[in-house]
Amino acid sequence: MQIEFELVTYDDELDKFELDETIHQLEISDEDAQSYELFRSSDLNLYNWFKETDSFLNYVNEKIYPESKHNKIAISDINGTTFRRFYFFKVTSGDSHYEYFKKLFNVYEESDWQDREEVGEEILEHLMVKRQDLIIDLNEYKTEDNS
Amino acid sequence: MDKKYIETMLSKMDEDLSKQGMSRRDAMKLAGLSGAGVFMGTTSATAEEEKIVKNDAKAKIVIVGGGLAGISTAARLTLNLSDPDITIIEPEKNSANYQPGQTLVAAGIWDEDDITYKRDDFVPDGVKVIEDRAVFFNPQENKLTTEKGQVVTYDYLILAMGVQLDFERIKGLEEAGRAYSSGNNDKLLDALGDSICSIYTAQGSTKTWEIMQKYIAQAKSGSPDKKTKFVFTHPSTPIKCGGAPKKIIYLTNARLKEADARENAELVFYPNGGAMFGVPEYHDAIVGQFKREGIKHHYRHNLIEVDKENKIAVFDSKWQEKGPWDPVMKDFEVIPKHEKLRVSYDFLHISPAQIAPREIGESDLGSAKGWVPVNKETLQHIRYENVFSIGDVAQVPMGKTGGSVRKQYKVLVDNLIAHMNSKKLNAKYAGYTVCPLITDIGTVMLAEFDWTVKPTPSFPLDPTVERWIFWLMKVYALKPMTMYGMMSGRA
Repeated sequence: MQIEFELVTYDDELDKFELDETIHQLEISDEDAQSYELFRSSDLNLYNWFKETDSFLNYVNEKIYPESKHNKIAISDINGTTFRRFYFFKVTSGDSHYEYFKKLFNVYEESDWQDREEVGEEILEHLMVKRQDLIIDLNEYKTEDNS
Repeated sequence: MDKKYIETMLSKMDEDLSKQGMSRRDAMKLAGLSGAGVFMGTTSATAEEEKIVKNDAKAKIVIVGGGLAGISTAARLTLNLSDPDITIIEPEKNSANYQPGQTLVAAGIWDEDDITYKRDDFVPDGVKVIEDRAVFFNPQENKLTTEKGQVVTYDYLILAMGVQLDFERIKGLEEAGRAYSSGNNDKLLDALGDSICSIYTAQGSTKTWEIMQKYIAQAKSGSPDKKTKFVFTHPSTPIKCGGAPKKIIYLTNARLKEADARENAELVFYPNGGAMFGVPEYHDAIVGQFKREGIKHHYRHNLIEVDKENKIAVFDSKWQEKGPWDPVMKDFEVIPKHEKLRVSYDFLHISPAQIAPREIGESDLGSAKGWVPVNKETLQHIRYENVFSIGDVAQVPMGKTGGSVRKQYKVLVDNLIAHMNSKKLNAKYAGYTVCPLITDIGTVMLAEFDWTVKPTPSFPLDPTVERWIFWLMKVYALKPMTMYGMMSGRA
């Protein structure tokens, strides 16, 4: 089975993500394909599973960023499931992204009476924490390999 | 349980029912209430009391706040512990006032005396009261300090301090805000003047009725060409009883109709939000009621200023416009827009912004927004396992009603006692709340719902229909159930 994915790079100093804009294709094992089927309906479970797979990490380290200055990356899309909102959400983002994050961060009930800007700021605060879970530090894996 | 009081209320209800040619049993059948006991004046308190096996766990429990939530919790703890050591810290002697009745006072249905209750009449036997305000919290050392400097230590702390009204953020009403903060209600009402009112204090409800009558009289002597304008607001913060701003509109409307002055009056509601109610079914019902009654409404308007001299309310009017295409997010942006809107009024009812007590927000117990962050199901503080919170001050979704407290206090007590016994906190609050939405004098839509954001009716009746039977429940049954059932820890 083939998985199509896209990446973003993360700049620590600027605290900023940038879209890589390359579509990558990765052949995965039958065992991973079974896992994919299991996790595909839940976006964050899919993300957490995929970013830990050896095939993905090896592919990124060896084929995409072998000598790159980009040590921190994140996944922006996996087979049509997008994670871009986690990196590029802003107060002016569309309603669907608001609804997604209000549900994810449980801010719907707390913030129903509030202004859009205030809810947006609250989502951004949550995202500052959440993004740390999503960022993949390639150095960690390189170090592990070397050890 | 004050049985004499309940009997008096039930007798009044029977009189009302007999005028409609109906017995209390018939009324119960109509509401699907047979056996519920609510209208029968029994809460099966005696039976429940007999069943309680008192727990021998011991701890020093301090409850900050002596309102409905604080006293009900103290009462239930007293029922459930064999040797309770409970202290309530509450500065106000009338903290036990029946706040759900303030709308009825504001419409001249009840008097202020009907909702005025002394804290000390409801404090359970053996519970100590410190008549002071807790102002400094030190949860790391399990102690707090009161305004008068008394240091109070605890094993368990329950925060039940309610909300504060924030008139001060409205330009032109700063003096009213300062008067409220200093606890001077007379000065608050003076500062609001003779055309602005608010049902959010007991005295304010009485004043609302006075002002309402004045402008109903003006409407009666007016004409359809020169209408008296009644303006109502709903703020941008969470508020206790989200239905109250609408109840006062409906009651004003009812009194205008009763005075045969409705066609000479214009009623306009300016809520900050974009809907009438968070539950779509109730939202639709309310929009239908507004249409039927000719009450206008304009969403996304937040009152920010009042020009009392010229009788102008200034709103922050908000809307959204479609923005440019965002190629990364693959979606159109939404651009928020604002402008100031000046609205003239004759009668202005303000539902003020409501905030958590500042001392909580400034302590390590509060969240960034001031509320007490608790696990919404167990009501235990997210950082301090010996701290719980209940009622308006707790950061619990949709939980700022007496109906929520009725479910919460039992959960809190069960979990606190479980923690005292080093057991798992199994009791869970599921977000139930209830708003008896008065839609006219004589009808109530009983809006019950929970975190599923769907109606959760207790009775086998369409919950979006306004019913006289629920009016009877609101006017006659809920107060004794609250004051003598909940406040004794039983209902």
